[in-house]
Amino acid sequence: MSHTAGRNQRIALIFLLPAVLILFVTTIYPMVYALWLSFRNYDLSKPFIPRIFVGLANYLEILTSQAFFHALLTTFKLMAMTLSVQLVLGVGIALLVTQKLPGMAVARTLLLIPMMISPVVVGLVWLFLYFPELGYLNYFIGLVGLGPVPWITSTRWALTAIAIADIWQWTPFIMMGTAAALQSLSPEPYEAARIDGNSRWDVFRYVTLPQLKPVLISLLFLRAIDAFKIYDIIYVLTKGGPGDATEVMSLYIYRQSFTFWRMGVGAAASFVSLIIITVLITFFFKSMQRSQVTQAR
Amino acid sequence: MVQWKTMVWAASMATLLGGTALADDKPFAGVELKMLGIGDTSVTRVAPIVGEFEKQTGIKVHIDQLPYPGLIDKIVVEASSSSPTYQLLWVDSPWVGLLGEAGALEDMTARAKRDAKEIGLDDIIPVQLQENTWQGKLLAFPASGMIWMQQYRADLLENADEQANFKKKYGYDLAPAKTWAQYRDIAEFFTRKKGELAGGKPLDFDLYGASQSYSRVQGAITHDYFPFMRSFGGDYWDPKTGLCAMTSDAHVKAAEYMKSLIPFNPPDYLGLMWDIQSGFMERGEAAEAAYWSVRSVRLTNPKEATLATIGKAGFAESPVSDAGPQPTYTGTLGFAINAKSSDKEKDAAWEFIKWATSEKIMRRFADEGSGVSQFRKSILSDPALQKKYPYYKVLLDSQVNARRRIFHPFYQDMEENFGVELSKYMAGETPTALEALSNACNAVNSRLSIFPLEQRLRWIQDVPAEVLAK
Amino acid sequence: MSSVTLRNVVKRYGQVEVVHGIDLAVEEGEFVVLLGPSGCGKTTTLRMVAGLEDISGGELEIAGRRVNDVQPKDRQIAMVFQNYALYPHMTVRQNMEFALKPQRLSATEAEGRIGEAARILGLEPLLARKPSQLSGGQRQRVAMARAMVRTPKVFLFDEPLSNLDAKLRTQVRVEIAKLHKRLGTTILYVTHDQIEAMTLADKIVIMKDGRIEQIGSPEEVFSLPRNLFVASFIGSPAMNLMPGVVAASGGGAALTCGSLQIPAPNALSRVLKTAQQVTIGVRPSDIRLVSSDAATTSYDASIEVVEYLGTEALLNLSAGGQALVAQVPASDRPTAGQQNVRIAFDPDRLHIFDTQSGQAIRPGDCGHVESIGGRHGTRDRLHREAQV
Repeated sequence: MSHTAGRNQRIALIFLLPAVLILFVTTIYPMVYALWLSFRNYDLSKPFIPRIFVGLANYLEILTSQAFFHALLTTFKLMAMTLSVQLVLGVGIALLVTQKLPGMAVARTLLLIPMMISPVVVGLVWLFLYFPELGYLNYFIGLVGLGPVPWITSTRWALTAIAIADIWQWTPFIMMGTAAALQSLSPEPYEAARIDGNSRWDVFRYVTLPQLKPVLISLLFLRAIDAFKIYDIIYVLTKGGPGDATEVMSLYIYRQSFTFWRMGVGAAASFVSLIIITVLITFFFKSMQRSQVTQAR
Repeated sequence: MVQWKTMVWAASMATLLGGTALADDKPFAGVELKMLGIGDTSVTRVAPIVGEFEKQTGIKVHIDQLPYPGLIDKIVVEASSSSPTYQLLWVDSPWVGLLGEAGALEDMTARAKRDAKEIGLDDIIPVQLQENTWQGKLLAFPASGMIWMQQYRADLLENADEQANFKKKYGYDLAPAKTWAQYRDIAEFFTRKKGELAGGKPLDFDLYGASQSYSRVQGAITHDYFPFMRSFGGDYWDPKTGLCAMTSDAHVKAAEYMKSLIPFNPPDYLGLMWDIQSGFMERGEAAEAAYWSVRSVRLTNPKEATLATIGKAGFAESPVSDAGPQPTYTGTLGFAINAKSSDKEKDAAWEFIKWATSEKIMRRFADEGSGVSQFRKSILSDPALQKKYPYYKVLLDSQVNARRRIFHPFYQDMEENFGVELSKYMAGETPTALEALSNACNAVNSRLSIFPLEQRLRWIQDVPAEVLAK
Repeated sequence: MSSVTLRNVVKRYGQVEVVHGIDLAVEEGEFVVLLGPSGCGKTTTLRMVAGLEDISGGELEIAGRRVNDVQPKDRQIAMVFQNYALYPHMTVRQNMEFALKPQRLSATEAEGRIGEAARILGLEPLLARKPSQLSGGQRQRVAMARAMVRTPKVFLFDEPLSNLDAKLRTQVRVEIAKLHKRLGTTILYVTHDQIEAMTLADKIVIMKDGRIEQIGSPEEVFSLPRNLFVASFIGSPAMNLMPGVVAASGGGAALTCGSLQIPAPNALSRVLKTAQQVTIGVRPSDIRLVSSDAATTSYDASIEVVEYLGTEALLNLSAGGQALVAQVPASDRPTAGQQNVRIAFDPDRLHIFDTQSGQAIRPGDCGHVESIGGRHGTRDRLHREAQV
């Protein structure tokens, strides 16, 4: 008996090993290495600078750096813009495409296309649209008599321009998840509401939305994590500029690590932002879930 | 089947025999070199003809062409790798200090001296060689020489009606600007809307008075600002401390002057990266541009610039400020050898550099009409070529009294910090030029100040090139 | 004035007609059950009344008003669904409040109605719970309360008990009956369960394939099934049906069924024709066990299986080549080992159907088939003892 148990354990171990190894090589080792790096002075381009242990110096520098907090704020601004619009549009479109109308199945598939495009390509597509002078967007705006907007070349518009591109790409994600959730809702409560005479808005507000809430929270959670990491689109469209208008956290970290070559500072910034985002997002979503529970009581 | 085997055998024998037979005049036959290059004139011209070099020497050269933004990042990563992929590196002269201090580049002094005659060392404008040195060592070899100068639409500036109107409005004759004040007047004068007349013809596009780089991407704005501030009498460093000293009156005036040109620039000026900026000039949509000569050759080539068909490009030395004539900044785009390559690869790479930068090849580029911004006196002073490329004379003359560009190991900190801060100032985010410049300088100095004074002073010292010593 | 009236109501989905012209009148305060096997169109009919399905043809009136094109909310109805259709994220109270919301009542009035409904249905302790915290029976009571608070003219129930287990079903059935008694509101109720129909209905509407087979009180449909379908559908255990031929007509008419010779009901002697193919129906409860020397006509039957059900027993018998089920008091059941019994039934309790048309043969029919529909023979004798 104990013989078989031991053998079973060994077999279990053999099956687990590859997963554990892959996890270690791809996740744990880089994390630990980055943590180690964050306590060091490490300039990749300047080997003559001693790569020594500097304690919390990198962390202190970040936490007293205006640029870091600017990047953090810009990231949250962008998140707020994209997430809110994606939520409203995504749910709206989902409500539309789940109607039993002709062509909706096709529309639903077509709407998923932006999501399947690589962010760099999305960036390039929008670069063509935004391109000063030659961009299509300004051409169309011009047709309705509005002046050209310096989309990606003004500090006022650039972040909005990035947000629009991101919204275009990721609204389908919310749409898809919401549509799936909508279709899994049982139809009877809607018939009951129809008979009771509840208005469409009331039905949406009090019947549909509360039932979608858990799904929407999960979708937003995933989007929030993604939005915090946004890089490709910004790199293609503005590279953080003009000025520092679109300098989000990932670009700040990139600049520290690969322009100033301060790998230690970059690593420390990664950790600080990781902690901040984890705490804030957890707090935010916990409170959302709690409000849902209390609302139900 | 038998026939096929025989053929293979014959072919391999032929290769073997051929290899032995050619060993003497092709000592590097079979060496393969990879080059990390840029997708711009200094590489695009030579890339299509590397087959000729292979035929001559048996050295196979493969060139990867990348855009300028991000290229230095890849070179740094490449330089920090213990088993490099690239033996040949394209180097912009400001990178020499960074890569030199890291020991990433092979010193070519001895080789250049040994082959002085073959490469025509005396024919090269001295400051172009100096540009590529670090602590006196020659770490890259010029492949394209640059100067900061003004380019303008000669057809408009020489138009009689325009000249008359200009005189009426500004009270002096319309001519290539001698001063920055004139440069701005000309920019203002030629800022016109689509449909208005320019040179007697209605415009089918908006005409901008000037086209300058204001983009922060890869410090494009910094590269424009530096020669401006030089022209206003400023420089990079405090010679006593070795720290960034770009906050004087001259520096502030230069930044303010750049900002005063914005109304005459395209509305998306903050997005004007080099290629976009020079595009306005190439399409004839800008009346003038103070810019590096790196792409000037395109302006007179109808295949590369509409301007050559709808108008005419003119060139002149950089205007001067109240500070009077100043030595302007030069620039060089060069080829370097990765210090971590094997000796044989280094020698082979040097053979390639000699060939690719030789007077023969350079002259061929010039003759073919495309060409690159040149660095050889013999070519730049050739009267026939000067006629064909009006900017050659400006390029040659302005280098008589010129100063090399920034070469500090912390060059990237300068480029990036000034790029962001100046871009913010131009966008109106930072209220004053002084604040923007101070922010940028402080950021740079926060990194420099931890180093000993002695080291800092060494970094800003331009040791004369050993290769130029007689 | 009738509360709900359907006149020749038709439902089509594209080319396919699923309800073929229903005529039905539901009186004020009446409890009418639509009964039939699945796919018979009963739910579709109910949903047309509710307004959840469009009416393809015919007229629908509720409270004397034509409502074919009236929105569900304006039909003064309330509906209770098979799977309760409660709002899962709302409490019991919120479910009721939400149903009341369109009526824009004052807070006190709304509170009053919710309180009353909760009291009647015993939901007071559950008001703050969510549906997921309730049992199936409680949920259905909430669904009823939610329908009740709106004080509709007509309650529509769509198979409300089919998601409950047997025990709960009986309980909630009683609740519904009590509720109807208390409120006196018209109820239109759909089920496939004949026990629900028999126990609850004032009037049962038996449907098959989109048509009404018979309308009548529980007693009527049980004791006077209009046709073979109703006869076989109503009653448990089901009526024994045996093929037969009219052996002799006129006075002393007789039927032959296999080797059995059965006297025809007296009332039918004038309408049966010699050699007519008939189906003879006898309810299991109408079969008696008699001693072999009994005076009445009796038959030998062999015992196949005896099913003991406590108070009664079901005997699966074979008589004259016919399989029969007899329902007898448990005390009368044959002893173990007994092979044969003798059975008898009252000829007047036989149900005779014309095999060809499937219609019941009634006195005064004179052989022609009565049309099905709303008119049910009040002339017929009624057997009041029918109970299930």
